[in-house]
Amino acid sequence: MELPGELRGRPIVEGISRGRALVSGNPLSFLGGVNPETGVVIERNHDLNGKCIKNAILCFPHGHGSTVGSYVLYSLARRGLAPKAIVNERADPVVVVGAVIAEIPMVDQIDISNIRTGDIVEVDGGKGIVRIIGRKE
Amino acid sequence: MYLSREEERIYEGEEGWAYQVAMKILVKLGDLFNADRLIPIESAHVSGVSYKTIGDASIDFIEALSRTGAKVRVESTLNPAGIDYEHPEEMIGLPEIREKQDRIIRAYSGMGIKPILTCTPYYMKRPSEEAHLAWAESSTVMYANSVLHSWTNREGGPSALAAALIGKTPNYGVHRPENRRADVIVKVEAELEDDSDYGALGIHVGRILRDEIPFLDGLPHPSESSLKHLGAAIASSGMSSIFYYKTPYPKSSDRLEIIRVDADDVRRAYESLSTTSEKPDMVYIGCPHCSAEEIRDVAKKIKGRKVREDVKLWICTSRYVRERAAEHVRMIEAAGGKVLVDTCAVVTWIKELEVDVLMTNSAKTAFYAPTMNGVETIYASLDECIEASCSN
Repeated sequence: MELPGELRGRPIVEGISRGRALVSGNPLSFLGGVNPETGVVIERNHDLNGKCIKNAILCFPHGHGSTVGSYVLYSLARRGLAPKAIVNERADPVVVVGAVIAEIPMVDQIDISNIRTGDIVEVDGGKGIVRIIGRKE
Repeated sequence: MYLSREEERIYEGEEGWAYQVAMKILVKLGDLFNADRLIPIESAHVSGVSYKTIGDASIDFIEALSRTGAKVRVESTLNPAGIDYEHPEEMIGLPEIREKQDRIIRAYSGMGIKPILTCTPYYMKRPSEEAHLAWAESSTVMYANSVLHSWTNREGGPSALAAALIGKTPNYGVHRPENRRADVIVKVEAELEDDSDYGALGIHVGRILRDEIPFLDGLPHPSESSLKHLGAAIASSGMSSIFYYKTPYPKSSDRLEIIRVDADDVRRAYESLSTTSEKPDMVYIGCPHCSAEEIRDVAKKIKGRKVREDVKLWICTSRYVRERAAEHVRMIEAAGGKVLVDTCAVVTWIKELEVDVLMTNSAKTAFYAPTMNGVETIYASLDECIEASCSN
């Protein structure tokens, strides 16, 4: 099966992470949208509702909602519940600052429709590269 | 992004870790959004204050900054906390919560931030027109840009704190005139009366806009409180940080996309904000924090009536507004309502006060409360809210 291979975006927060992709078509609010004690998405009518973002390569279009969201990402990281990397179509400041202080590798300007939930993905935040290295048939 | 020699020194850590982290946040944002330099700000408003919303790990971060002795370089205020310090008897009484909330406020105060705990700091002191600000709290940002004509990006709690410590913000986004123009015209073809009509409109507009800047055409003569509710709602369901409502069409209007919004859209937004038809345990007015005029309106409607035994009526505002509206506050409290300060129903613990159904005239609260507070919501006009809270 042919994989999209290497996607090139914009480097935001440096660091290299490998893990399984969790892909959403919906914008995500970390404040109120993710339970900071479990890492589970609780935003209503969200396609990731009920899914845990811990250790995922979390791919979503962009953030929305309250500016306290940056601290929620920091909280998640301190509890070991943060995603391993964040891939956005368009970064917004709430998510970027959260990724900076939580030290989560982050890339944006990626067409995330190329990535499927469950794909094994490597993110190089310093170079802005997302590599899809495995996909279940 | 250009950094002066002084800014470089801070980035390299020569003034200590706290200023270095602050500068890194600003530079990262500046590089990301193609800022050319840092610009001085008039004031900062910092969100991320309630222990309920920021959690334990964030306390460590703020305390670590504060312990270094770093101080803010501009006038700075704080968003609401998780406790009303003047009316602790109305709050959940757990000592652990009180201790954590105290630590957060102490850490911010230690950095020189005034512990004015409100999301409407502009009632106390209006920022100057065309002044650059670094304000967090999305409803506050909307109001500053759209109604007060000050200029602020939609900061996160940490980036507003970083800007406060440095006294500057990166020159990008709506700090540049070319980024403040309307992108889309929203023709409002619905009758809007109550603030809650504006809130429902805002939720709908935020959902369809992404981060575009709307020019809302067809708003009759909105009051400042209607505009506050409209902006808070657009920012809840969307990413915009500014809207226009009365200035003439921008010059390029003939090229702008036009979106029509009708009464059905507003009605559907109302429906989406109510999750139940049960009776409320709490009726909540004051998101964003009430102005003196909003408190007066509640007082007039509730005069001579009595709040039901089985309903809590909460009106939230700042200490400043509560003092100025003292006479109307007495009228509300004589009827059995509570006019609270320093906090709000969303950032304190209401589920633990045995509230299962929350009725409100705030679209922002109705949008967030089901997930942030775990309650059912009823979204309604101020009249309906007062009606449901009173027994006579």
